[in-house]
Amino acid sequence: MRKTTRKFLAVTASVASIALLATACSSDDGDNDAKPSGGTSESASANTEPVTLKVATFNEFGFADLYKEYMQLHPNVTIVDDKADTSDNARAAVTNSIASNTVVDDIVAADGDWMPELLASDAFFADLGSDSVKDRWPEWKTKMATTADGKLIGYGTDSGPEAICYRKDLFEKAGLPTDRDEVAKAIGDSWDSYFDLGKKFMDAKTGAAWFDSIGALSQGMVNQQEAPFEDPSTDEITATGDNSVVKPIYDQLTSDEVLAQSAHLGQWSPDWSAAFKKDAFATMLCPPWMTQIISGNAPDQKNWDIAPVMPGGASNWGGSYLLVPSGGKNVDAAKALADWLTDPAQAAKIFVKYGNFPSQTAATTDAQVTGKTDAYFGGAPSGKIFSERFANVSKQPYRGSHYFSINAALGDAYTRVDVNKTDDSASSWKKFVKAVDDLG
Amino acid sequence: MTSTGTPQLAGPTSDDERVRQQRRVGFSQRLGRWDVKVSPYLYISPFFILFIVVGLFPLLYTGYVSFHKWDLLAGKGDSVGFENFDWVLHSDMFWKSVRNTFSIFLLSSVPQVIIALVLAAILDANLRAKTFWRMGVLVPYVVAPVAVSLIFGQLFADQSGTINAILAKVGMDPILWHSHVLPSHIAIATMVNFRWTGYNTLIFLAAMQAIPRDLYEAALIDGAKRVRQFFSITIPMLRPTMIFIIVTSTIGGLQIFDEPRMFDQNGRGGADQQYLTVTNLIYQLGWTNRNFGRASAVAWILFLMILVISLVNYLLSRRISSDEAAGAKKRKKVRA
Repeated sequence: MRKTTRKFLAVTASVASIALLATACSSDDGDNDAKPSGGTSESASANTEPVTLKVATFNEFGFADLYKEYMQLHPNVTIVDDKADTSDNARAAVTNSIASNTVVDDIVAADGDWMPELLASDAFFADLGSDSVKDRWPEWKTKMATTADGKLIGYGTDSGPEAICYRKDLFEKAGLPTDRDEVAKAIGDSWDSYFDLGKKFMDAKTGAAWFDSIGALSQGMVNQQEAPFEDPSTDEITATGDNSVVKPIYDQLTSDEVLAQSAHLGQWSPDWSAAFKKDAFATMLCPPWMTQIISGNAPDQKNWDIAPVMPGGASNWGGSYLLVPSGGKNVDAAKALADWLTDPAQAAKIFVKYGNFPSQTAATTDAQVTGKTDAYFGGAPSGKIFSERFANVSKQPYRGSHYFSINAALGDAYTRVDVNKTDDSASSWKKFVKAVDDLG
Repeated sequence: MTSTGTPQLAGPTSDDERVRQQRRVGFSQRLGRWDVKVSPYLYISPFFILFIVVGLFPLLYTGYVSFHKWDLLAGKGDSVGFENFDWVLHSDMFWKSVRNTFSIFLLSSVPQVIIALVLAAILDANLRAKTFWRMGVLVPYVVAPVAVSLIFGQLFADQSGTINAILAKVGMDPILWHSHVLPSHIAIATMVNFRWTGYNTLIFLAAMQAIPRDLYEAALIDGAKRVRQFFSITIPMLRPTMIFIIVTSTIGGLQIFDEPRMFDQNGRGGADQQYLTVTNLIYQLGWTNRNFGRASAVAWILFLMILVISLVNYLLSRRISSDEAAGAKKRKKVRA
């Protein structure tokens, strides 16, 4: 009798544990399908069959409330959020799905920097051109998502028109003006005037540096060039040649005068994040999404403000797109959702709640957007400031097939000189040239 | 009488025997014989089939890819023979990554084995709440590598790190963990040791518990203290386990990927490849630069390196490992 009971218990226990494991390891799709389906829908789309759309994003696109709103407007649609933990992993997921020709998500969010390689595989993505999105974005924004044949593969989401964020208290300590517009005038229109003001600031010896790192400034300067790394007509690499556009920029940034103003903090490093709580640097390049990073890193710091100026001309840093893989099961429904998510009305809502500045022309002049002020930055009219910066952006640098890798190598070159201090300007440039030649 | 009656008198077999023989060669008997001969191979075949599909085939296919120009997204290009290998062997980045890999491997495996041995010896003793300590030693292994990297990233930050803050208080210069080569290796090796020491400790502990206690008692009677017992009894009896640990540490240590990748915000192994390991280089060449041909070449070179080093380990183990080999030699000598 005893033996059978033990055996019986053992068998029951193992069956129960296997059942538990099976339910634990099963996917969640089952739950989501059990939503109200069918029925009459007031949506414009003819298809009212239940549809599940997976949207792959990263960082914060601000879509959470919009998903709910869309699902209420279209009861047959269920939206599943597929958020990657880092943007690098999101990029790897996209390239992997292209390489293996499998479609995992119905809508894929892609950073502007990845667009060159995605354009090279444009067959994988659906043509998103339609009358409803005509003239929605400025030309420089759609250009990055349009193939040479004129096929539009991505709808623009946000953008990053740059301004300068500065620390009022450090400016005051150095005897510089603290009012936003006066600071803008003092910083001036060119990088030379920016560095001149920096020299004045450093001479006052407040203990702080003028900016965080030359790598960060390089980002702004590169975005002001037409073709920083490659020749737009041939896609040949020009960054290391005699007519290199980036060499003069590199020489200026790695000169002793400019290096003396740097806080030597590599962007996004733990040192850099920790430095916001201290008096490490007085200014930094500030696209709209950087404002949330600053307030996140130093929530108790009340002295940051935004100056409505960008030395060297208008510059855009960042901005993403929504793409629809053409091999997905619900291409039309996904296209409709992407269209709605990037509509100027929705973009304005995202900016008000999350601070992601829109890239849609109509949204940037929307009253909701231009009227937004930022309490963290001393009540600065951030909406208006970034709107004006956006209006001045006219171009984005040409991104060839090696843009990403060359940009990374250039960043390493600056890090070697500025942050790690393992190389001087000349030897670091030599290593950059070697790294670019290796890309072959 | 004469033998004309029964022709089968030669053999003892009769009709009964013939029938019995026919029954012996029945189909079920044949099946039974097959069962004995073939079923062992069938039992081990799932592993080998799986290995061929997910181990051997990718290995050979990677070799095939390494002889071509191969873009991640554009696909197969022209066959270029040994050009990829040529580029890899002449590439500074590759040799730096080999230097980094070996350095991190030595800095992590050697302390790991030593500390694991000592910890296992301590845990083997009669402690209170034995199971708690033994489970506790495995907790670092369970923590996700990303979490470990975040925490150790705060410890080892160049300017705002905890260790540099302590050094500053003591009056020493800060160590630039992310800028210089050896400090970065020490920091990464620390993270690796944190993760794997507990795992190795438990393996040593299991082996130690198999050592017969009489040896310790005999040694105690002879007047040996704890330390002497450790060196003269525990370590020699652990030789086979140590070979296993060393071989697995070697294979794992030459393939370290997570910790160097999470060590800074870029994941490229440092602006000057200070801590770029070979597996990280494969990822960079293959997925970031999308050059699969070169990445495959590096992968095969890594495979050959690990093969050579494992072979060296094996030859060493044949000379110093368990008593059987030594005993056989002794026996031969006696006979001669």
